[in-house]
Amino acid sequence: MIKYAVRRTLQAIPVLLGISMIIYAILLIAPGGPEARFAQNPRITADQIAAFRHRWGLDQPIPIQYCKWLGVCGDKPFLVNALPGGTIELAGVRIELPGGDNGVLHGDFGFSVVNGEPVAAIIGDRLPATLILAGTAWVIWVIIAFISGVYAAVKRYSLFDSALTVFNYVGFSFPTFWLGIMLITVFAGSLHVLPAGGMWNARTVPPFGTSEYWAFFGSQPLNALADLGTHMILPVFTLVVVSIAYDSRFVRSSMLEALNQDYIRTARAKGVPERGVVFRHALRNALLPVITNLGLEIPFLFTGAFVTETIFSWPGMGFQFIQSTASFDYPVLMGLLSVTAVVTVFANLAADLTYAIVDPRVKYD
Amino acid sequence: MTEIETPRVKELTPAELEAIQLERPDFEVKLESLSQWQLAWRRFKKHRLAIVGAVLFFGMCAVAAFGPFLLPYNFYTIPTPDKFVYAGRPPSLAHPFGETGGLQRDVLTLVVNGARLSLLIGVGASIVGATIGAIVGGVAGYFGGWIDNLLMRIVDIMLSLPLLFVILVVSKFLGGGSWYLIMFIFAIFSWPGISRLVRSLFLSLRGEDYVDAARAAGVGDVRIIFRHILPNAMSPIIVAATLSVASVIISEAFVSFLGFGVDVTTPTWGNVLSNSLNFITVGNWWWPLFPGLAIVVTVLGINFMGDGLRDALDPRARE
Repeated sequence: MIKYAVRRTLQAIPVLLGISMIIYAILLIAPGGPEARFAQNPRITADQIAAFRHRWGLDQPIPIQYCKWLGVCGDKPFLVNALPGGTIELAGVRIELPGGDNGVLHGDFGFSVVNGEPVAAIIGDRLPATLILAGTAWVIWVIIAFISGVYAAVKRYSLFDSALTVFNYVGFSFPTFWLGIMLITVFAGSLHVLPAGGMWNARTVPPFGTSEYWAFFGSQPLNALADLGTHMILPVFTLVVVSIAYDSRFVRSSMLEALNQDYIRTARAKGVPERGVVFRHALRNALLPVITNLGLEIPFLFTGAFVTETIFSWPGMGFQFIQSTASFDYPVLMGLLSVTAVVTVFANLAADLTYAIVDPRVKYD
Repeated sequence: MTEIETPRVKELTPAELEAIQLERPDFEVKLESLSQWQLAWRRFKKHRLAIVGAVLFFGMCAVAAFGPFLLPYNFYTIPTPDKFVYAGRPPSLAHPFGETGGLQRDVLTLVVNGARLSLLIGVGASIVGATIGAIVGGVAGYFGGWIDNLLMRIVDIMLSLPLLFVILVVSKFLGGGSWYLIMFIFAIFSWPGISRLVRSLFLSLRGEDYVDAARAAGVGDVRIIFRHILPNAMSPIIVAATLSVASVIISEAFVSFLGFGVDVTTPTWGNVLSNSLNFITVGNWWWPLFPGLAIVVTVLGINFMGDGLRDALDPRARE
């Protein structure tokens, strides 16, 4: 088991490296490159552009540029630079760490081309909004999918089961973004009962994330929550509706499989009441694959939340992503992609390890 | 105890023999030999939902192919170029899908013309993607070892990225907005899932006796992969490719909707939706409704068809 965990963790390292290479390749296809903004300026000579390229290391071979972006190369020797750098204070003793401080490995994604802010700060600003939206929707859809899936499996071939199957088919076929547009058209465009987008009412509430916002939240928590809630109804609903389909189908089939096992027949034969059979015997075993599946779903959660954010102008990472794509802000794009991919890799790893721990029947070579 | 009677064999004269051979039963016996595909087609026909799906999908294809010629309006002629209205008009007899705001265009014309590229990109990208996936998965599953390890790590890497958003960026950065470039980009990012599937199929099929027999007969690796294993792995690949058409259509609509896909002057369902967003606060529900419904109908049809194909091509996979 420990051997499996170690091997599985080590396997994640080349995957992370490969992800960083693909993301770096995106920078290479970015049109123009960093010196593009000088191209239209008649006062800047070719020599000056060459000096600029030299100053920022753009005249070096691409592998070296990549190595520096990653943080493996830098002021310190090769590979040593990848270790944690800077100084830390432990019990009053200052310890110099051997590593460097540049590059993605040290959380340094560079600066936005558009406004010069550090990429890490931009992502840090946007992350809470995404987590609020995705987290709320995730909790709701998992609960609904779970209850409906279990119920459909217990009452197989009932009206509810058929209705859920039809709903799942339609849910699979619904484009997330179109559902969002239709909801805005109806509830904001025609009925004028809910806001068309955004995360706060700009007339009455300070911008989200600022200290004023939290002060407002502290002084009028009910108003602030009501404001946040009305802005969340449509995006959360969109995300929940399109996401239930897959999970409820998964829960249903997992539960059906558990209900078909021999130990269920044994329990019934022993006279265990049906409620006990379902909840004590079947449900517990049906839960295992479901829990793992939740971890594997993280990338879909991100994609779904990103798509929903763009439709509802929800100021999260997905919304930032679209803005940055439109303005060719490639350092921000690379940062956002890196964060998403790294979270995905670790979520998959966690799901695999959890499964290995909770289900002793699974054998690993 | 009874005496056992030994049967007496009667010698037949050649004339009698011929008479027996010429004798025909008084009913017609027709032996029909059916190929795998004919058997699959029989099962597919019995699957009612699959037939509904096929009708929806191929109906939409027919609309895409012939619709633009049958409509009274042309996509490239704007009815009232000198007039710009804010709100559109709801569905009426002359315009069953309503009229848009802005240039007051017929929504039906937009939807019918948009079907062409949306379907073309979905089908084209899926075919190319499934081909790449089959080759990569086949090589990985057949040869195993370090090749398998390398290719599957690449697949892991691809599947860890939010691919829809990588497609967005690549599409924007490569620019142009030509439909075949978009199709190519979708193909490049849609093979990893299928390659995993094909690999697992090849892993189990390469141990079959007929593969050993072929190898013993001196058949080369390439021929074994493509002539002996691939045909037997075809059914799940076809099902996966069919279902991938649906996801490409949805993703392409999203990318075009954001303005990073096919050029805005070209009709696609995503572009029609994209234009409707500028007028969203007017509450012209018919403008985004119908292109979206076209997507839902197509995707629903493809999903039904995919389920039917799975049952028809691979009866073992049924629950």
